[in-house]
Amino acid sequence: MERAVVRHELARRMGPQPPVSWVLDEPAGGLAALEPPELAAVLDQVPVIWPVSQGLTFAFLAEVPQALGCLTPRQLPDWVKGILDAYEGGGLAAARLFMAEVERRFLCRLRDRGGVAFPAVAGRLLPYLRSLAGRSIDLAPAPWAGTDVATIFLPAEIDLGADGAAHRLVYKLVASWQWLMLAEGSFWPALPDGSHQDLAAALASSSRPDLAAACYWLAEGRRLLARLGRRLPGLASDLAPLWPLLVTGRPAPALLAPGHGVVETLWRLGLGTAGEGPPELAARIGQAAGLLARLVKPAATSADSLAVAAGLGQLLADLPRGGLVPPPLLFLGEPDLAAVAAGRLRRRQEARQQFVEALGRLLTQELGVLPPPSPGPTVARPQGDAAVAVPAAAGGAPRDETKAREPELMIQVADREVRLSEGLRSLAREIATDLGALPAAYVQSALDMAGAGGVGREVAAPLAGEAATGPLTYDEWDYRRAGFRRNWCRLLEKELTPVQSDFVAETLTRRRGLLVHLRRQFEMLRADYRFVRRQTEGEEIDLDAVTEMLADQAAGQPPSEKLFIRQLRNERDIATCFLVDLSSSTEGWVGATIKEALVLLCEALERLGDRYAVYGYSGMRRLRSEIFHVKHLEEPYGDAVRQRIAALAPREYTRMGPPIRHATRLLAAADARVRLLIILSDGKPEDYDDYKGDYAIEDTRHALIEAKVRGIHPFGITIDRQARDYVAHLYGAVESIVLDDVAKLPARLPEIYRILTR
Amino acid sequence: MHAQDHRITQAPQEEPYYLPLADELTIATTAYRQELPLLLKGPTGCGKTRFMAHLAWSLGRPLVTVSCHDDLSTADLVGRFLIKGGEAVWTDGPLTMAVRAGAICYLDEIVEARKDTTVVIHPLADDRRELPVEKLGQVVVAPPEFMLAVSYNPGYQSVVKDLKPSTRQRFVALEFSYPDPAREAAIVRHETGVGEGLAAGLVQLAAMTRGLTDSGLPEGASTRLLVHAGKLIAAGIPARTACRVAVAGALSDDPELLAALEEMVSAVFP
Repeated sequence: MERAVVRHELARRMGPQPPVSWVLDEPAGGLAALEPPELAAVLDQVPVIWPVSQGLTFAFLAEVPQALGCLTPRQLPDWVKGILDAYEGGGLAAARLFMAEVERRFLCRLRDRGGVAFPAVAGRLLPYLRSLAGRSIDLAPAPWAGTDVATIFLPAEIDLGADGAAHRLVYKLVASWQWLMLAEGSFWPALPDGSHQDLAAALASSSRPDLAAACYWLAEGRRLLARLGRRLPGLASDLAPLWPLLVTGRPAPALLAPGHGVVETLWRLGLGTAGEGPPELAARIGQAAGLLARLVKPAATSADSLAVAAGLGQLLADLPRGGLVPPPLLFLGEPDLAAVAAGRLRRRQEARQQFVEALGRLLTQELGVLPPPSPGPTVARPQGDAAVAVPAAAGGAPRDETKAREPELMIQVADREVRLSEGLRSLAREIATDLGALPAAYVQSALDMAGAGGVGREVAAPLAGEAATGPLTYDEWDYRRAGFRRNWCRLLEKELTPVQSDFVAETLTRRRGLLVHLRRQFEMLRADYRFVRRQTEGEEIDLDAVTEMLADQAAGQPPSEKLFIRQLRNERDIATCFLVDLSSSTEGWVGATIKEALVLLCEALERLGDRYAVYGYSGMRRLRSEIFHVKHLEEPYGDAVRQRIAALAPREYTRMGPPIRHATRLLAAADARVRLLIILSDGKPEDYDDYKGDYAIEDTRHALIEAKVRGIHPFGITIDRQARDYVAHLYGAVESIVLDDVAKLPARLPEIYRILTR
Repeated sequence: MHAQDHRITQAPQEEPYYLPLADELTIATTAYRQELPLLLKGPTGCGKTRFMAHLAWSLGRPLVTVSCHDDLSTADLVGRFLIKGGEAVWTDGPLTMAVRAGAICYLDEIVEARKDTTVVIHPLADDRRELPVEKLGQVVVAPPEFMLAVSYNPGYQSVVKDLKPSTRQRFVALEFSYPDPAREAAIVRHETGVGEGLAAGLVQLAAMTRGLTDSGLPEGASTRLLVHAGKLIAAGIPARTACRVAVAGALSDDPELLAALEEMVSAVFP
C-alpha cells in the first residue's frame, strides 16, 4: 500500500487531533510493506494504544513490522494487551523490553512455556491467601519473597525454565510458605511460659551470625515442611515433583563455604532432592540430620528450631570461614526481621484497638450501659491471666488439632454471658496467638468503654455555640445524652463547576467490555415480564381460574369473572440516591476510580430507566456541611451530568449525618415503591471539630436509622481495609459491603445496585 | 399448585440426624408447648430444614413443608374447589391440611412468597390461631398440636424482598449459623461416611471460603455443600474433583474466584 495512504489511515485512527503528517511519515514507511491483512490488524490496534500514550504508539509502530515475523495478525490484540500491561507496570522502558522480546515474553507464555509474572497469579492467589490467613492480608511484587506481616511479597517474576503450570505452583508455594512462617510463629519463637524470644537478638549473639541465621532457617524449614504436610496436604503432594526444580541452578554444596555447604546439603536432603554433600563433611552432615529429625514431630515449635539451630551452630563452628554464600531459597527469600517486628507491632495495636472497640460496642448493646467500673462487673478468668478462654496456640487450628473442641469463647459480666461474634472470635484468636493469651486488660478496656457508654469519654463534647440557621438545618444525634442537638448543622447545597474533559469518553472507550456486559445485565433486569393471573381481561385464559369458576358455580358459589392471564412488565418503580464521599482522604481514588464507577453506573442505569440522583458530600465543621449536586432524581443524564462527574474532586472532611439526613428528606419526598440510599465512603465519619470517634459513628448510625424509619433502604459501600467492625455497626452487617481494593469499584458498584434491586 | 411445591411427611419412626448447636431444640419445644410460631433465620444449607424434620420427629407430629416462590397464591396454601367426576370438590391446601391435622407447617424461604400471600398466615401466627377459609365460609381453629414455622436467609439479598415487620413480629426467632469445626466435621462424617481426616479437610475448606466477602463471595460453602462433596468422595470420586464440582462450582461463576477456590481445594486435598 502507498505510504501516503497508510499515513492517512494512521492519522484517521489517532483521534480528533492527529499529529502533523511528517511525524507519521516514518512509521507509515515501515508499515507500507506489510500484507493487507497484517496492516489492517496493526491499524486496528492504533486506537487502542493512542489514548494511553502517544510515545508508546510510535514505539509500537516501529516494532510491529519485525514482530509480525513471528506473530500472526490474530495474535496481535493479545500482544498489545501485554504491551499495555507492561507499560502500566513499568513505563515505556518495560513496554519496549516486552516488545523487543516477543519470543520469550509473549509466545512462550502463549504456549504456556516459560516464566510467569506476578500480575498473572495475583488475582487467584490473593483470595487464596486470605482464606488461609483468615484476615485481610495483601500481596505485592518485590525483588524476592518476604513479609512484613501486613503484606506478603512475592517475586515479580518466576522463571525456572519449566512450564507455566509449574511456575504458578511455585508462586502458590511462596505465598503459602510466607503465610506459614507467620502462622507458625517462625519470627517469634515461643518459650514454654508463653513469652517470646527475640529472634534477631538470638541470631546476632552468635559468633557467626550469617551461619546462625542459615542454621535457624534450615531447622525452621524442616519443621515447616512437616507442618505444611499436615496443614495443607494437597499442596504438599503437588509440590513433591517440584522440589528438584527449586534447587536446580543453585551452586553445588561443594563449591560453597564449608558451613553453608553443609546447610545446603541438608536443605536438599529435606526437600528429597538429595545428592551427596562434600565427602569430607559426611560425618557432620549425618550428625546434623540427626538433630533436625526431632523437628518433624507435630509438637515441635519454633523455639525447638532455635535450640536445634544452636546445636547445628556448635557442630559447624570449627569449619573454616570464607567462601561462597548461596543465594536465598526462592520460597524462603531473605526474612527481614526488623520489618516483621515493626509490622507485628502495628498489627498488634490495630488488633487491640479493633478488639476493644468492637467488644465495647457489643457489651454496650448486650448489657445496656453498665454501672461505673467500681465496684464494677467481674470478668471470669478461666485461664490464668486470660479474661477469655482462648487456648494459647489456637491460631487457625491445624488439622490434627481440630478434634479437640475449641472452648467456647465467652465473656462473663455481672453473671451474664456474652457470646462473641465470629469476627471478634477470630480477632481474639489472633491476639492470643500473638501474645500467648488474651490479656485481661483488653477486656477491661472494653468494659470501661461500655461502662462509660462508649469511648466518647476521651472526646470532648462539641463546642457549645449558636444554633445553626439557614434554609437547610439538620439535627444531630448526641448518643451521650440519647437526644438530638436541634438545628445543629447547616447544610449548603452547592453546584459544581462543570469540567470540559474527555474523561467520560475515555472511560467509555477503555471500559468498553465491562460496559457492554453491564448494559446487557441491566437490560435483563428491565425485561422482567411476569404473568398476572386472575385478571378481568388478558391475552390468555387462566385455566386454573376457569376450573375454579366452574367448581364454584357447581358448588353454588358466585362465579368469579377474573378468568384471564395478562403479561405485565414488572414495574420497577425504584428511586435511588448515591452519596459520594468527597473528603480529602479520598484523594487518589475520587480522582479517577470513583468517577469511572459513576460513569459506568449511569450508563448502565440509563438502560434500565430507574430514577436516580447523585450527590457528593464534604464540608468543614457543623455550620458548613456541603452537598454537591451531580444529578437530581428527575434530571436526565446528559452532558451536563457527565461534566459534573468529571468535576468531582476531594475536598474537606466527612460529616456524614447532615448529607444522609438531606438525602433522606429528598428520597422520602419521592414517590416510589422502593427507595434506596447508597453511600460510598472511604472510612469513618470525621470532621474538623469534635465530630469523630463514637460520637460521629453514633450520629451517622442514627441518621441511617432515621432513613430506615422513613421507608428508605440505606446501603453502605466502604473502601477501607480496617473497616469491618464499625461498618457492620453503622449500616448493619447485611446492608453494607467493604471493598478492600478501590480498583474493584467500577465493576462492583453496578453489580451491587443490580443485586439490591433485582 | 404443583405437586412438588409441598411435601407432607408423617412423623418419621427413625430419628432424623440433627446435632444441636445450642439450646434451639429446648426453645422450639417450649414454643410448641406455648403455641408460639417459629422463625428460622440463617444462611443457606446450615441445617434449618433438617432441624424442622428433627423437631417434628421429637414432637411426634407430621411435617408439611411448603417451598415458597413468587407465584404461590393464597389458594395454593389454603385450598380450592376442583372438579372431580362432574362435581365440585373442595381440596384443602397444605396449610389448611396441616391446621386440621394438628401438624407442623413449615414455609421454607417465606420472603420468596408474594406479600399478599404471606398475610394469610397472620391470624394463624398470633393468639387467635385460626385460618379463615373464605371459599367455604369457615374459620378453621388450630388445635394445640398445630405449629407454624417459617424460614428465611437474611444474607446479602434484594431490598425488594424483605419480611414485613407485621409478619416478622409474630414469631419466636431462632438464629442458625454454621456449626463450629468439630461439630461440622461430626455432621459431615455422619451424613457421608467419610473418614475423620477427609471430614476435617472439608470443614477446613469451608472455613477458608467463609471469610471472602471482600473478594466477592457473599456466602461461603454451606454444610450442605460439604455433605454433597463428602458423598461424592465416599462414592469413589477423587476428593479434588468432588470439591471442584460440589463446592467451588456451586459457589461462584467468576473465573478469578473459581481459580482461587481451586487453589484452596488443591492446597487442602492431595
